[in-house]
Amino acid sequence: MSRTFLGYPREDGTVGIRNWVAVVSIMDNCNPVTRAIAHAVDGTIPVTTLFVRGQYGRDLQIAYDSLAGMGRNPNIAAVLLVGLEEQTTEEVARRIRPTGKPVEAVHLQPDGTINAIAEGTRRAARMAIRASGLRRVACPMSSLVVGVECGGSDTTSGLTCNPTIGRMADRLIDDGGTVIISETSEFFGAEHLFARRAEDPAVAKAFVDAVTRLEREAIARGMDIRGTNPTPDNIRGGLSTIEEKALGAMAKAGTRPLRGVLGYGEAPKAKGLNFMDAPAPAVENLTAFAAGGCQMIFFGTGVGNPIGNMVAPTVKVSGNVNTLRTMADNVDFDASEIFERGASVAPVGDRLYDYAIEVASGTRTTSEVLDVRETAISRFEPTI
Amino acid sequence: MPRAIVLDGKDNVATLIDPGRTGERCALQGEAGGETVLLQDVPFGHKVCIRATAVGADVLKYGQVIGRASAALRVGEHVHVHNVESARGRGDRPKGGER
Repeated sequence: MSRTFLGYPREDGTVGIRNWVAVVSIMDNCNPVTRAIAHAVDGTIPVTTLFVRGQYGRDLQIAYDSLAGMGRNPNIAAVLLVGLEEQTTEEVARRIRPTGKPVEAVHLQPDGTINAIAEGTRRAARMAIRASGLRRVACPMSSLVVGVECGGSDTTSGLTCNPTIGRMADRLIDDGGTVIISETSEFFGAEHLFARRAEDPAVAKAFVDAVTRLEREAIARGMDIRGTNPTPDNIRGGLSTIEEKALGAMAKAGTRPLRGVLGYGEAPKAKGLNFMDAPAPAVENLTAFAAGGCQMIFFGTGVGNPIGNMVAPTVKVSGNVNTLRTMADNVDFDASEIFERGASVAPVGDRLYDYAIEVASGTRTTSEVLDVRETAISRFEPTI
Repeated sequence: MPRAIVLDGKDNVATLIDPGRTGERCALQGEAGGETVLLQDVPFGHKVCIRATAVGADVLKYGQVIGRASAALRVGEHVHVHNVESARGRGDRPKGGER
């Protein structure tokens, strides 16, 4: 019998693993009101953002698409937009409405923040009560889109948590699901191996082009990237170069063929394994996954990075016994038996797949219960 | 005895999965066997040289190039940012670090 999880089917055919009302800032000056409304209403999450005001061209499109992508995310039952004024709010609203989910808005102009908070609290409360009437039902694994990430990496990452996540990714893909790996810079030195897994030459070329473009940009700046990537904590954890880090990072993508290459926050078109061209730092990378429709993220960590995404519950996996002792509160899954008891990766990854089904069915993650969550849409260009 | 994992038969480094002290023997596991005497303290997760490597030569882990030796590496030596350097994305180097 094929496996299922308990999820919330949405009108557009997607399935949520959570059932939140998202209170979404349209630009940075709305964040205080967004936080106040989300704080006042149980069942909501705040989705804040920086900038948007003053952004133009490609960056503005990425900002609107990503905010809307988080609103469209299947984990969101309904959306309350918090805007400065109606025209910019509409840019995000019109991108969410095709999902069929309720989209409402409040504005800071012309009546000020106290009125916006009061009206937003009233609307969010009604939406949260309505959303709470939905019930979980058995859903196929093929409805899951999962991001795979690593952060606070060390040399244990490439040998324990990342291959464990890779095994889980293979199992999910074999059950018809979708997996996205990203962090473009963390393919420097491993791209020749990953490109071989592309299902056709066009996909291979799109992937290699993304890596080459980013490396050329870094070189054109004339600076030394060492100390930024690998980071000081990566280096303390034994990683000497970006190449060594990349070879370990790739393990979290498992072994299945690469089927698609996506832009920042873009939703996958093909099931199976996809690559998203997006900056590696965790908060902005996880935000891109959530914008692209990932319901859940698996995050391998060595020396320990506790951050999770607001919209997509983030499962922290570590195989470093020291981190599992000192940062136990921030780790969801222990893969240390690979080093400590000589366990092979496959059964540990199978156990992680079982845990994925639990989390998809409602078991909460450390970053959810401790509210160690943040949102940051990448910014590539100046404002004006 | 601290354990050190060798990931590919071509590798010239092994990764310690226990902390190692100067003069201690570490047991090689994985794609190579035997023991290597540590010439320095090597922290948990850090690498030790298991095959003498000339300055400028490739440093291999997973059977892949992880950088080049910026100093000659002796067997038993701690291999890290002080004696291996990245060849990728190096705006501070001509041709970005590539040879």
